[in-house]
Amino acid sequence: MQEEVFNELADLALKSSGQAIPKSKSYLIEARLAPIARREGFGSMADLVHCLKSRANPIFAAEIAAALVSKDTWFFRDRDCLQRVVEDVLPKRLKASNTGRLKVWCAGGSTGQEAYSLAILLEDEMPPALRGAKIELLSTDICKVVTEKARIGRFGHYEVQRGLSIRRLIKHFTRLETGQWELSEDLRSRVSFRQHNLLESAHGLGKFDVVLCRNVLSGMAKPARKRVVESIAEQMMPGAMLLLGSGENLIGITDKLEPARDFRGGWVAAGTANAEASAA
Amino acid sequence: MKTCLIVDDSRVVRKVAARIVRDLRFDVMEAGDGAQAMRMCREKMPDAVLLDWNMPVMNGLDFLRSLRREEGGARPLVVFCSIENDAEHINEALRCGADEFIMKPFDADILESKFAEVGLV
Repeated sequence: MQEEVFNELADLALKSSGQAIPKSKSYLIEARLAPIARREGFGSMADLVHCLKSRANPIFAAEIAAALVSKDTWFFRDRDCLQRVVEDVLPKRLKASNTGRLKVWCAGGSTGQEAYSLAILLEDEMPPALRGAKIELLSTDICKVVTEKARIGRFGHYEVQRGLSIRRLIKHFTRLETGQWELSEDLRSRVSFRQHNLLESAHGLGKFDVVLCRNVLSGMAKPARKRVVESIAEQMMPGAMLLLGSGENLIGITDKLEPARDFRGGWVAAGTANAEASAA
Repeated sequence: MKTCLIVDDSRVVRKVAARIVRDLRFDVMEAGDGAQAMRMCREKMPDAVLLDWNMPVMNGLDFLRSLRREEGGARPLVVFCSIENDAEHINEALRCGADEFIMKPFDADILESKFAEVGLV
């Protein structure tokens, strides 16, 4: 890929979604934009960039920007973390809130496997402490197409075999004539999906008890990480927890959140981690 | 090192699977049908079996039923690996004693994920 073309697309990714794509990973740009280039009949990435620059089409630019974001996810990715959310974090939050209601947000949830994994866990392994609670699961992603795919709840041959046991597959999914597998209507109805750019204010989404923003920040530039995390922090109820992917942390990014004492990878409002630990 | 017996009448599938399974740090044994696999199990029971469904001489299902009746045959973790991927076939494999099921075609990610599912990796 020509340097000029790479620079244009990398700049678009940075400005629109905070993604920092190094030159060494220019192949990611080609791979992620190839379907759009084919559909639009562009012979090269240079043609695509030329079109972006010559036509002021914000919808097309937004589609390109969304396509540049990684969609890689799978069912029960980091199962231990999801299990602990269900067995430990949510019951504690329920006890503390006294509302009988819990809200969970999968930020940057791609095609929905993370949120659906939580829904499956809550169905199959509901801890007694959560019985009767109203648990709302929201998954958001920057990409409209991805959000729509998640909402439909249909997954391909490879997707249902990454992280999902065969027993769970045949219990909760139906094989369609197309060869795809469709999640049960009941489980689909337990997750809401919305298109949302994490760089934008999340006020409209409401406040949450648990936010999972896993393996999202690591692809972002530092200023974007700060903006995203501080926007998420504003949507956390008092005592709420943010969960990052393994290897991700907020040291040097924000002083609004600090590591949770009793949950590796968990972050809580600054000044509350010690209080949480002593209360527990 | 754990051992994995790959049972498939396709030499190509065995070769591809063996490469992936070796990367997961298993010693690999290979059999081209259920009867040959049964003989190998009687000599040395493996820790894991990756098992095709349709094979000559003895198919995967008959092999699995026989294996589970053998002394020590309850121990190997059996991952079926088949193109028969409707719920009815999958349920039948599970009823006969399969621990997991891979729908062909598969890749390294799927095989590793399924092995992890049953605690093999």
